[in-house]
Amino acid sequence: MNFLELFDQDLISSVLRALIPILLAALGGMIAERAGIFNIGLEGMLLVGTFAAVAASYFAQNWIVGVLAGMLAGMLFSLILGYGAVYRKGDPIVLAIAMNILAVGMTSFLLVAIFQVQGVFQDPAIDGIPVWRIPVLADIPWIGPLFALTPLGYLALLLVPLLWIVLFRTPVGLRLRGVGERPLAAATMGVDPQRYQLGAVLASGALAGLGGAQLALGNVVQFTENMSAGRGWIAVVAVMLARAHPVGVLGAALLFGFADAIGFRLQSFGLPQQLTDAGPYVVTLLVLVLMSKRFRRTREAALA
Amino acid sequence: MTAADTGAGPRTAIAGVGRWLAGPIPISIVLALLIGACFMLVAGVDPLSGYAAMLQGSFGSGAGLANTIARAIPIIGIGIAIAIAFRAGVLNLGTEGQAGLGAVAGGVVALTVPGPAILVIPLAIVAAVAAGAAWGLIAALLQNLLGVPVLLSTLLLNYPARYFSSWLIRFKLDDPDSDLVASRPLPESGQLSLLVPKDSAFAETLRGVFGPTGPVTAVLTGVNWSLVILIVVVAGAIFMNRRTRFGFESGLSGQNAEFVRYSGVQPGPLVLRTMALSGGLAGLFGLLLTIGAPSTRLIEGYFIQTNFAWTALLVTLLALYRPLGIVVAGLFFAAIMVGSDAMGRELGLSPQIAAVIQALVIILLAFRVALPRIRRRRAAAEAKETAR
Repeated sequence: MNFLELFDQDLISSVLRALIPILLAALGGMIAERAGIFNIGLEGMLLVGTFAAVAASYFAQNWIVGVLAGMLAGMLFSLILGYGAVYRKGDPIVLAIAMNILAVGMTSFLLVAIFQVQGVFQDPAIDGIPVWRIPVLADIPWIGPLFALTPLGYLALLLVPLLWIVLFRTPVGLRLRGVGERPLAAATMGVDPQRYQLGAVLASGALAGLGGAQLALGNVVQFTENMSAGRGWIAVVAVMLARAHPVGVLGAALLFGFADAIGFRLQSFGLPQQLTDAGPYVVTLLVLVLMSKRFRRTREAALA
Repeated sequence: MTAADTGAGPRTAIAGVGRWLAGPIPISIVLALLIGACFMLVAGVDPLSGYAAMLQGSFGSGAGLANTIARAIPIIGIGIAIAIAFRAGVLNLGTEGQAGLGAVAGGVVALTVPGPAILVIPLAIVAAVAAGAAWGLIAALLQNLLGVPVLLSTLLLNYPARYFSSWLIRFKLDDPDSDLVASRPLPESGQLSLLVPKDSAFAETLRGVFGPTGPVTAVLTGVNWSLVILIVVVAGAIFMNRRTRFGFESGLSGQNAEFVRYSGVQPGPLVLRTMALSGGLAGLFGLLLTIGAPSTRLIEGYFIQTNFAWTALLVTLLALYRPLGIVVAGLFFAAIMVGSDAMGRELGLSPQIAAVIQALVIILLAFRVALPRIRRRRAAAEAKETAR
């Protein structure tokens, strides 16, 4: 196999597959960030979403139920962060760290409790999310894979411009940003900051839950213990890199998807899986380093 | 403050205990156990027998107690490492990677370097501390030079460390005679022995005096020398926090970085020193876990499955970075883990119930739950005070 063969048409679809769960979670994190809540609980929300989606799809034998359950579970789970950080003034970092551990424990425990299996749950009764191929367009070389996605894939890509419009061109977006940047000023304008913040956290949970549904019912059709495997953390980095801008978030998620897809392909060059698995995290770190100028301000905040 | 408050009569002491019991920590623990009980009900297990099995497994026998202490050692040690960083306002979430690499670096030394234990073990410890510190220093340098937040860099650095260790053990160190993906057992000279080796004459005496399964015998013949190292580390951390300039500066820096900078402390070197110390300690306890009898192999994925680093993080948060608090909280969380393993074996449940209960304690604590009645009464008392 020669090196150029790494870059073929299939690469585009593998990039998209890796990208979509992260993009959904990162867009969620972006909304919370805009409302002034640093959400590092995306990893846990994603994982809870995967489990709920698989369990619901198994019992209902219907992927739509699975997707809705994943979204709902992510949202309910994010209530911990929303209630704790907004109404009890708890530290969002402490809450989110505990939530991520809770998510791993809870899903592994329920896996054994409900399905009596450990590690991996796979069953023909789990209904996966179908791929909706748009005829003609999906056959175009190179950009074809963009038109052969799951419904959640289309949703994720459409949300990028949609959230841009909502954030920067609508009153709701204006108020949300106001709450995040100048909560007191927003309050004097008659906006209830707490309600907006809770809403933003719930929205981020719902989107991360959808990301989980895509991961467990779209990319594969199974649940594995701790299957989010750091993707939620990558989403957190994506939000920070992009400075909570939708297009930037897409760019950062794309980069991760690319690193993931290339890493997988490098295995056919004889590189052991353990080393290529580290690829996306190393690439994310390198990008953090390269884009470091953006963090000058964050550094001040982190030290304060 | 009234005279009744300052006078330490027995009545106020009891009231103090009562107030603490109605405060956030005990209430959080009780509520977390109640929610844990709901999870057991979902699994179709009677929570009372579940918790009974847990208690029996962790404290109910000498072997259980020894197990709990052995499990608490890495949790407390890594907890101290995290606390040193958190106290200085440096959010080191990378102890998993630092400890894992420390275990690998020191483990390779213990596995390959010939010589007597008295030389090999210190050398392994130096290698482990150096590896952990180096991995921690990367994050510190990234923050100082480029402004990448330590919170993110330490976290992302866990993954390369994890996969590298995995690769090294699977492809370079794997023992073909073992079913595990693991190195061959360490030579005698690379092992940290039990406090009292099981077949020694002293162990025989202990069995005679305290009974063969008594708690004292079980602990002394079931826990290795890392307990002594841990005690030294905890004492050192307390001394450092209270008596040294570094401890003073880092404590202030965690509370108010701005103020400390104005009073002439350089934040850059402080972050470097903190991360080196924190990572080094994490590396040390990672090593102790792999070279300490009775399990003395480098096992693939061991560090991730056991979840020590993350449990230690929860313990640190529960104890608010105070060393002695970490000891108490570490023993408590270790007991939950050991008890959950026992419960899992007996009742066919996932031992992950431990993580559920532990995380819930922290979440409820962040909500600062307290008995509402007490709070109202205290508020009323304070109101009366000010009205006077």
